[in-house]
Amino acid sequence: MPDGPLIVQSDKTLLLEVDHPSAEQARRSIAPFAELERAPEHVHTYRLTALGLWNARAAGHDAEQVVSTLIEFSRYPVPHALLVDVAETMARYGRLQLVQDPAHGLVLRSTDRAVLAEVLKSRRTAGLVGERLDDATVAVHPSERGHLKQVLVKLGWPAEDLAGYVDGEKHPIELNHTTEPRTSHEKASAWEMRPYQAQAVDGFWHGGSGVVVLPCGAGKTIVGAGAMAKSGTTTLILVTNTVSARQWRDELVRRTSLTEDEIGEYSGARKEIKPVTIATYQVLTTKRKGVYTHLELLDARDWGLVLYDEVHLLPAPVFRMTANLQARRRLGLTATLVREDGREDEVFSLIGPKRFDAPWKDIEAQGYIAPADCVEVRLTLPESERMTYATAEMEDKYRLAASASGKKKVVEQIVARHPDDQVLVIGQYIDQLEELAEHLGAPIITGATTNKERQRLFGAFREGEISRLVVSKVANYSVDLPEASVAVQVSGSFGSRQEEAQRLGRIMRPKADGRTAHFYAVVARDTVDQDFAAHRQRFLAEQGYAYRIVDAEDLDESPADSSAL
Amino acid sequence: MASSLPAAPAAATRHFADDLRQRSDTALAALLRARPDLAAPSPSTLRSLAARASSRTSLERALARVDALTLQVLEAVLALEPVFRPVPERSGPREAQETPPDEATGTAPLAGPLSVDVVTWALGGSAEDLPRVVAAVGLAVEQALLWDAGGQHGAALDLRTVPGLDELLGPNPAGLGPHLDPVPDGLPEAVGHALGSAPGRTETAVALDKLLAQAPPGARAILDALAWGPPVGVVPPAGSRPRDAVNWLVTAHLLVRSDARHVVLPRLVGLALRDGHTHREPRTLPPEPQGRAVHTTTADAEAASAALELVRRVRLLRQAWDENPPSVLRAGGLGVRDLRRVATQLETDEQATAFVVEVAALAGLVRDDGDAPPSYVPTVTDWDDLDDAARWARLVEAWLVSRRAPWLVGSRDDKGALRAPLSPDLQRPWVPRLRAGVLGVLAGEPAGDTVVAPASEAVVEVLTWHTPRSIPPASAVEGLLAEAEWLGVTGAGALSTPGRALVLSRPDGSDAQVAPVNRASDPSGDGGPAGALRAVLPHEVDEILLQGDLTGIVPGRPSRDLARLLDRSTDVESRGAATTVRFSPASVTRALDQGETADGMLDELAHRSPVPVPQPLEYLIRDTARRHGAVRVGAASSYLRAADATVLAGLEHDPTLVGLNLVRLAPTVLAASVPAATLHEALRKRGLVSALEGSDGRVLVARKGVTGRAMPAPRSAAAIRTGTGSDVAGRAPDPEALVAELRAVEDAARAGARARADAAEVARSVATSGGGVPMRGYRVVAGVPSTEPKREGPRPGALEPLAAADAPRLDRAVTPVPAIGTDPPDDDAGTQHPADGLALLRDALRDGSTVIVEVAGHTGRLERRELKPLNLDGGRLRALDPDREAELTIAVHRIAAVLPTSPAP
Repeated sequence: MPDGPLIVQSDKTLLLEVDHPSAEQARRSIAPFAELERAPEHVHTYRLTALGLWNARAAGHDAEQVVSTLIEFSRYPVPHALLVDVAETMARYGRLQLVQDPAHGLVLRSTDRAVLAEVLKSRRTAGLVGERLDDATVAVHPSERGHLKQVLVKLGWPAEDLAGYVDGEKHPIELNHTTEPRTSHEKASAWEMRPYQAQAVDGFWHGGSGVVVLPCGAGKTIVGAGAMAKSGTTTLILVTNTVSARQWRDELVRRTSLTEDEIGEYSGARKEIKPVTIATYQVLTTKRKGVYTHLELLDARDWGLVLYDEVHLLPAPVFRMTANLQARRRLGLTATLVREDGREDEVFSLIGPKRFDAPWKDIEAQGYIAPADCVEVRLTLPESERMTYATAEMEDKYRLAASASGKKKVVEQIVARHPDDQVLVIGQYIDQLEELAEHLGAPIITGATTNKERQRLFGAFREGEISRLVVSKVANYSVDLPEASVAVQVSGSFGSRQEEAQRLGRIMRPKADGRTAHFYAVVARDTVDQDFAAHRQRFLAEQGYAYRIVDAEDLDESPADSSAL
Repeated sequence: MASSLPAAPAAATRHFADDLRQRSDTALAALLRARPDLAAPSPSTLRSLAARASSRTSLERALARVDALTLQVLEAVLALEPVFRPVPERSGPREAQETPPDEATGTAPLAGPLSVDVVTWALGGSAEDLPRVVAAVGLAVEQALLWDAGGQHGAALDLRTVPGLDELLGPNPAGLGPHLDPVPDGLPEAVGHALGSAPGRTETAVALDKLLAQAPPGARAILDALAWGPPVGVVPPAGSRPRDAVNWLVTAHLLVRSDARHVVLPRLVGLALRDGHTHREPRTLPPEPQGRAVHTTTADAEAASAALELVRRVRLLRQAWDENPPSVLRAGGLGVRDLRRVATQLETDEQATAFVVEVAALAGLVRDDGDAPPSYVPTVTDWDDLDDAARWARLVEAWLVSRRAPWLVGSRDDKGALRAPLSPDLQRPWVPRLRAGVLGVLAGEPAGDTVVAPASEAVVEVLTWHTPRSIPPASAVEGLLAEAEWLGVTGAGALSTPGRALVLSRPDGSDAQVAPVNRASDPSGDGGPAGALRAVLPHEVDEILLQGDLTGIVPGRPSRDLARLLDRSTDVESRGAATTVRFSPASVTRALDQGETADGMLDELAHRSPVPVPQPLEYLIRDTARRHGAVRVGAASSYLRAADATVLAGLEHDPTLVGLNLVRLAPTVLAASVPAATLHEALRKRGLVSALEGSDGRVLVARKGVTGRAMPAPRSAAAIRTGTGSDVAGRAPDPEALVAELRAVEDAARAGARARADAAEVARSVATSGGGVPMRGYRVVAGVPSTEPKREGPRPGALEPLAAADAPRLDRAVTPVPAIGTDPPDDDAGTQHPADGLALLRDALRDGSTVIVEVAGHTGRLERRELKPLNLDGGRLRALDPDREAELTIAVHRIAAVLPTSPAP
């Protein structure tokens, strides 16, 4: 195609011109093997990575398909070296296979003896494999299945895991297509899985194990429920915190045939083990006298499915535990595969390849998540604060800038602009938040707030009984606040990109009246606050959320809605 | 050997020399062109030319250049010539004297001529191969590797190899054993028949069958085993059945015992077994280079991006070295650390960087500044003003004729030292020839929709066909292919369209001696490599898509103006068919530093962007501009401060203090550009009582010699200009002029031919009488003969000192030719070349005749002996003295002269 929508760069980035007539087609064709890196307004950038190509291989795409797709949509001749590299990289996946041998149990088998010899020679595989059965086969200790896969990815020869899964203890679970009303003024309503959710469940089930990437608000819980129904077995669900655990429980009760009695909570507060058990990462990683005290949970039942919520936050010890769970089906749910710690390859090797991915903007365009308007408000610090800031120690600078006193007034202004909206004020520093809560006359939720109180406040916010809520980072994840349409961020945890995504996610649930969501970040000018904000916003901009920068002084003149611009 | 060899015409060189003499001037000029080593230093006579043409070193050089087919032809002629009787010459000076079938030629059983047809058949070729064989023979004759013993214009050639060739090609040419007597009955006829006409196959089979009719079992198998060589077999132990067969074969003269343990297959028997062939099949054509087929568009696109990348890297290199010139190593070249630094700046590996550095130096874009100590600096050239294609053409044209081997960078030399880029150590005279060979292989395929991208092994294979006696090192071929890829001469391994244009622009690229960098090539024209590259470069785009995440994308090759803008104000994130750039506070600051303004930048961006400038970008630029310059930095050598602003008032503009360059920084502070001490003194002179202040702000006690460090003068490369200096290579003498001179000498020599014959006669009488007295007409030089082994034969009179001078000057020195002719007593001076003596020895060896050898004895006295040479190898002559019936070995350097035993006809 001489005038294709795609430009293939030799550094393995793919530039997709969005406004091109065949852009949509090209996007669909490259999505299975290329990672979307940036999706700003005109040209999206995808990247070819080894993991991405292996993901594609795992999903049944071959190098020829990838190459012909690139050539078909490319505007200029595709760099030859890149094509060769794609073919070579993809050929590396599956040369080694983990299979069940009827006589020897779990074995590592190779179609290429040289590769097997190479990986066996590596010091890293020592101790993970047993005796050499023949030229192309070596025994593997079943307990080392996960470690071995991790090591093989690091060695560049990812193994295809065909060893299958234990069936697990049967437990019938079905989707309940009519939701129970949660509150008195809600009506029971019929629902179906959205098409992309069904695709995600199928993709996962077909692949055995893996990760489903969906933006916040796109209904990951339902994908989880769908997977559980498909599996029909006892399930262990690992989530980030207790609030999230409760929400999972509520959703499962509403959406499936499961009753409250069948669902157990295994957290700091309660230690129930039921056919479906929801545990927090925190409780799993609790150590006493150097040992993980709750490891037995993993073997407490013959789990048929292990579900990981927010995979990108999976703490390192859970990776290690997961390495021992390789015989069970695993489903990872996340909004982004980007990990601040760069352990994407462990997610790949231990939980599984990416099985489904849909860009935010697409789902937004389909109306499943709310459109958002992002504004950065720049606040000029008064002279006195600037002096304090300039002479402060490095480690105090961010706190000083982030909790600048002027922000109070700006937040007040913003809140005043949205009298009819449900507004969340999110921040990092408790004293700043407390001050703000007092100033706005709004309740506050922090780490110190009891779970009961949290539940009550979230419930009241959902019901519309309170329209302003000040929250600390405890609300970053998995708190379902569908009606929140305005978020004001006064401080963040430095430059974390995924935090920004999560916070944006708070307000992205589709609104009943299709309102636009607003996301404000209040930033102190000429300070590290601004630099961190720039880093975080880059993520948003790359996701295609154009943002505006407004000076705090001009806030009043600036229209509240970007659509009015 | 410093001796002047009295060279009389010898029995066998005579033929070869005659052949040369009878060649036309054009043919001789072609010979000198094909074998330039024959022309420098200029030979003085045609006979010395003939002798030189049959010397080992010259033949080795000539053989190194022949292709596989020619080599086969040479082997075939060499294998066949002992069994072919020369056709008697029907004209010329020796016409009357029919050579009697003496010992040398008497055993040759086949009647000539040894024609091209015979050679073609011997090679196993068919009629279709004939034209190629004819061409190969023509080439071999032109280069005097073959000559025509028939000497008859119009008649079929009777081919013979140049004397001395047998030594180089070994005793068993084409795996055929020696020609030995007696020959089994019927074989010569059969072989002759087989060689004479195509459908003679059965003849040899019939003859062999007849000979083997009585043979014990196994005899045929033994012959077949030896048939295609090597022709030597081990004699089986006595008493065994094979031994009986061998014994029978020896008796039948089908095998010959060469010593106690070995038998050898005589040449004619071998030929008969091979049905008259010397080779199984002729290697008429080079092998097709095997490789992937690459679409021309792909190759061109890759080449275009490689070319742009190279130009960009050279530009970066020049920038980097302008700011920070690396020093030259003591032994020449660029140090490892500097190479690494450049590699980081160019974002590539060291090998590619070494090439960039080398190619920039070849094109005269960077060079040693000649300072002490020297550094590498960019030169002042118009290169920067050219467009990308023309810049590329400069680089690639310089590369085409370079004699440097940058791929050796990083390897170690014999002493274990790392070879550095730009070091004189990388000079290799054979590089241009090999490069031309490699490009020739790449260009071998005609241009089409797809081009073949041969692997380096395939290229080596083809080159091996072209020069089987000098196989290029695989690493060098790989190095050259990598260079071609970096240059964009190839793309994806296949010759690109610009690369093809480059190859075509210089068809004689192989002859680097006469092809210096052609600076006259039109840099902006559409012809040549530059034009070809321009045609395949992606379209220039003057548009940038600006996005909210502060990136911009140029969907193609940015135009020059756009590139300049982006260069200043952005950081490039991804380069290739498109360019992705990112605006950051740092990059915008850089643009502001270079004099851009926020409004100017925004205007220009808005002008070039099809979409409005995103608000965050606008905010970024304005915000950065707002902060830019809030803190300012300048240079001052000293300052002047006072508690009272009034003290300083007026100083700034005081005419007596103008030289201090006082600048008011604040009401109470002035800065000056002179050292503190000078300022102090100047102020004192003006009557201002100043005190010197230390770095901690306290007043110092004034001391002598408190001076600031002078600011170093900014470095400037402006003084260095591009030069072609080193391109002046030694010029080879003009072949035509040389041939004319040789003819003149020849004519003069012919005039004195009679006298020479007389002299030879005298020499003979002296020889037979065993006397050691030097005779008139022969200069016999005693003394240590090996002092100047490389020196050409001394010339008479005034020319003598010049003969030892540098070769390149000889083209001027040969003019006083008449001196030779006007010196009748020394009329043979021109042939006084050690090679002549060796040629005589070689001929005698071949013919089994005797020669008179003058040997410097232990006392330095010359002894004269008549000897029959047996072997000449490794600088030693083994010979038989028939008079004394003794065998002796003489070091060749002790031989002062060799004379033929019989006078020339």
